[in-house]
Amino acid sequence: MKNDFRPRFERHQHLVAPIFLIAVLLLVAMVRAPQLFTIDGIGGAIIVVTPLILATLALTPIVLVGRGGVDLSVGPLLGFINVGLVKWLVETGHASPITVVAYIVSAGVLYQVLIATIIIYVRISPIIVTLSGYLVLSGVNLVILDRPSGVAPEWMQSWGSGTSILSPVFFILIAMVTFWFVFSRTSFYQQILLTGANERMAFANGVNTVAARFGAHVVAGLFTATAALTYTALIGSGDPTQGNTYTLAAITALVLGGTSLAGGSGGGLGSILGAICIYLISYILSTYNFGTVAGFVTQMSTGVILVVSLLVNNLMNRRVRAL
Amino acid sequence: MATDLSGRSGEMGGIALSRRVLLGIALLVVLIAAGYVLVPGFASYTNIRSMLLLAAFLGLASIGQTLCALLGSIDMSIPYVIGSANIILAGLFNWGVPPILACLIVLIGGIVIGVINGVLSFRLQGQALIMTLGVGFAVVGASQILTSIGSVYAGNVLGEVPEWLRDVSSIAGTTFGLPIPSIVLIWIAIAVIIIAIMAKTPFGRGFYAVGGNRRAAARILISEFRTWTIAYAISGAMSAITGMTLLGFSGGGFVGVGDPYLFTTLAAVVIGGTSLLGGWGGYGSTIVGTLVLIILTSLLVGLGLSYAMQQAVFGLLIVPMVALYARTPNLRDQI
Repeated sequence: MKNDFRPRFERHQHLVAPIFLIAVLLLVAMVRAPQLFTIDGIGGAIIVVTPLILATLALTPIVLVGRGGVDLSVGPLLGFINVGLVKWLVETGHASPITVVAYIVSAGVLYQVLIATIIIYVRISPIIVTLSGYLVLSGVNLVILDRPSGVAPEWMQSWGSGTSILSPVFFILIAMVTFWFVFSRTSFYQQILLTGANERMAFANGVNTVAARFGAHVVAGLFTATAALTYTALIGSGDPTQGNTYTLAAITALVLGGTSLAGGSGGGLGSILGAICIYLISYILSTYNFGTVAGFVTQMSTGVILVVSLLVNNLMNRRVRAL
Repeated sequence: MATDLSGRSGEMGGIALSRRVLLGIALLVVLIAAGYVLVPGFASYTNIRSMLLLAAFLGLASIGQTLCALLGSIDMSIPYVIGSANIILAGLFNWGVPPILACLIVLIGGIVIGVINGVLSFRLQGQALIMTLGVGFAVVGASQILTSIGSVYAGNVLGEVPEWLRDVSSIAGTTFGLPIPSIVLIWIAIAVIIIAIMAKTPFGRGFYAVGGNRRAAARILISEFRTWTIAYAISGAMSAITGMTLLGFSGGGFVGVGDPYLFTTLAAVVIGGTSLLGGWGGYGSTIVGTLVLIILTSLLVGLGLSYAMQQAVFGLLIVPMVALYARTPNLRDQI
């Protein structure tokens, strides 16, 4: 019991950098943009940040299960579910909550099962499979809906206003985060981590690595589905291209949260913190008057923060290993 | 890892490699035949010239991606370096910097970014994807800020492009009176040099050694760090050259000019048959992959497919192509 401290610190040390970064960002936000800390401010922030948190949580199990697997197609999949929802359900009048939930969950999960099947049985590196998924889906999205148009289902239209903290989007976020923490307490989650840390060793020790990989993708599908739902609530319409930007944003958030792209180490809490960091950075930058170069400043700072946080994580890992 | 794989590099490797290239060439022949039959004017000189020109840009941009793939790594900064080189060069012209000096500045900038990429991603093994992406973001953001100072057209740099640069890489460009843009000939020359170096010199073989089995490479005194840094430096230089010549092609600086090269360089490498796991393939294969992509694009455009559908077709093509020759061994066989 006395020596309990070090393993626990090692398990959570990847959270030190994101927590520190969030603290700094919140301090800056307090000075630069106190309106963020009003009811409207927090309500709006939740609406905007929820799709990113859920998309980052969708990436997390796929990265954890290893083989250098990052789901590059998470953004286009989000867009696909969004345009399909607007085009196939709302326009034909089948957009009751039950059909919508059935549609988003089956679209997300079926796609991920297909990807997992190719990765496991055709044995191609995950990055190539999801790259191909990115290209196919971003093409298909534009065929389904050639420009931003359409409307979200009627019962969802008030969701995006963000005038109170306790919006339906907030409850979805809480439900999914709770689901993640229950999931991460299971022994199945441990098997995902073992598979990601060393697949051969896990296999040799009786871990069902195929089941772990399928499971990781199914969970990712569920999170992508809910990310797409809250994204639809955020934009209130269908958009064939905007979803693609979530791929890079979610990967950045994941890395900021301290999850290693090599697999086997990291976790969901880091991903949530990372996504909040990304939101705070863009929010704070938007309070400066950069005029026409605002987008470039955001891009540059995202890049610099990404590189620096990778280096910090790397240094801290070395220090812990040296202890 | 994979000490069991290293024994295969003898005759087996030679056969497998030639089978991959043959497969690519067979695909090329099928595509050309299909284009000839289905698209009127496909084999006209105008169309061939424009395909060669586009292939030269993609081919140059893919050199670095090939070298990184041989090491088992990846360079995601290519599109951003291309876009940055494009607008920075246009900006330098506008500020009255002598053209040769301007090109040198951009080229050196590309090499410096490549070295940074190489050093950082060598230090953070296995994170090259996100590392190079981060560096790319920083570079493209900074160069856009730099060129936007005192301009209202954010992201675009308008201005006069010198006649000689347009001659190098615009569709109507000529070389010593011949009706072919010089960039095509430059690409062919660079390709011959690269293939010769990779096949014949100890330096070139070093890439295969490091990518195939790094522990063995270290034992025969090949510096992994040096190989790694040079691969990324060449990638940065070639991306800068692609970006600069694209300015001659389009006639105006636009940062988004590099965007298509993010996935197409990767696709050219993979379709050509170079494994992203390292140690297998080469620039000759990438040339085949480049030509497949360009001819397929021309064919799809000729058939009236939209850009979106072209992307979807590329995506559908990648998995079966890779499945033919770049499958990882079954987990049971790896223990």
